[in-house]
Amino acid sequence: MNDDILVVRTEDAEARIVVLTASGELDRDTVKSLAVAADDALGRGRDRIVLDVGRVTFCDSSGLSLIVGLHRRAAASGGVLRVACAQGIVLTALQISNLDRLLYLDPTLEAALHAVRSGE
Amino acid sequence: MDGDSRWFAALREILAAAHLWRPERLAAQVSAALEPVGLSSRIWLADYEQVTLRELPSAGAKPAEPLPIDSSLAGRAFARVRSLPAGDGHWYVPMVDATDRIGVMEFTGVPGAGEVERCELVAGLIGHLIATTTPRSDHLDVVRRSQPMSPASELLWRLLPPLTASSDSVVISAVVRPCYDVGGDGFDYVLDGSTAYLVIMDAVGRGLAAGLACAVALAAIRATRRAGGDLAEQARAADAALAEQFADVRFVTAVLAELDVDSGRLRYCNAGHPRPLVLRGGRSVRELTGGVRLPLGVASSAGVATSTEVAVEMLQPGDRLLLHTDGVTEARTAGGDRFGVGRLVDLVERHADAGLPAPETVRRLAHAIAEHQGSALADDATLMLVQWSGAAAARTVPVADRGNDA
Repeated sequence: MNDDILVVRTEDAEARIVVLTASGELDRDTVKSLAVAADDALGRGRDRIVLDVGRVTFCDSSGLSLIVGLHRRAAASGGVLRVACAQGIVLTALQISNLDRLLYLDPTLEAALHAVRSGE
Repeated sequence: MDGDSRWFAALREILAAAHLWRPERLAAQVSAALEPVGLSSRIWLADYEQVTLRELPSAGAKPAEPLPIDSSLAGRAFARVRSLPAGDGHWYVPMVDATDRIGVMEFTGVPGAGEVERCELVAGLIGHLIATTTPRSDHLDVVRRSQPMSPASELLWRLLPPLTASSDSVVISAVVRPCYDVGGDGFDYVLDGSTAYLVIMDAVGRGLAAGLACAVALAAIRATRRAGGDLAEQARAADAALAEQFADVRFVTAVLAELDVDSGRLRYCNAGHPRPLVLRGGRSVRELTGGVRLPLGVASSAGVATSTEVAVEMLQPGDRLLLHTDGVTEARTAGGDRFGVGRLVDLVERHADAGLPAPETVRRLAHAIAEHQGSALADDATLMLVQWSGAAAARTVPVADRGNDA
């Protein structure tokens, strides 16, 4: 099916900040494209990561696992992961798995960028 | 010899042969042992997906066509856990291991309904013997397969307890799909003393990787439970074991619970899993929202402290507790229609109100979910139904149908 793909866009901002914007379905079949983009960003020293999931229409446990792994890796290098714009089924998945207690969630991209800039 | 002595001799012959029997000769040996009492028998085993009964073939013989459980008399005996007459001294008798449904024995030459109890005795014995022989026989296991099994499924099925177990006041019955290619779903239970310990889990990912995470979590939970650890300690042990075994994040969502079958007190914690449901006689459905903590394996790996709060809920006699993985409610048609909690609850109520045994209720639920999905790509789906009811437990024990509710 055509909608079973995940498109990830990477935009570097100032200093160590990077914005990863994902759209489509984030599941075990598509999770690799986000993993590659994240590896690339971390490899370039971009460890203050905003992950915009506002256009993600589905997220299974593989997707959640990748997000948790990214959270951990960013923290390990002194950076941070902020998950922006989680809504609908993605927000539900984060809440059901209780991962909303672990991850930093922001309702908007602006709020997430503000948080990474101010070092939160 | 009189009748009783001949029956005793037949049972003795079966038991004596069982020490050394070769699985491919089992069916023929049992039938031969019954010859002196005027009977012959065939053995039918339920396949893993519980769709058909498949004949245990004798060496060299071609097995009969499988019998559909939904539309055959043998299947009805299996489903209802009741012996059923097929006319002309011909009976189908359910075969269980304790209360786990294994299949059906078919007897011919039964002179009257009075002799059926003896056939049930034989079927009970054969059920136990097949259960104890299966671990040393591929033959007995392969008969139950309609297709080859993935390595992940081979791993999982060796980890799981029987699908159904009962005591005098509670019955636990579970089902796992897809049988031949499961990923990281699993369940566990034990019935010890007045406590039923319950676990359902869903490991991240697919295939053997997910199965390994499930195995690690389950082993850690069991080891801690058997050493006397409480629910919170069991969850923490799983956290630690997963973090230790896997460099990447391998989390497992789970519900760990213990039900006191004397008082109805349910203690539980929920590690990022779909909420347990309590169904009360068709009148109410409650989601259990307490005991929330992070998925197993996340806390340690993410370097954050986890607190495991244990919630308490009082069940009432007759209540049904339903644990499930998200593959159940998230099962979607190709058009995207979710199976959902509503359909799930509705079907449980309907089947249980119809007096079906718990294992039959969950079997039909599994089939309803598979039907709903059609050919759409399926996630793992696991269900566990716990009925706190002596009457429900009794329905999982075979008794003859003497024409009362056929």
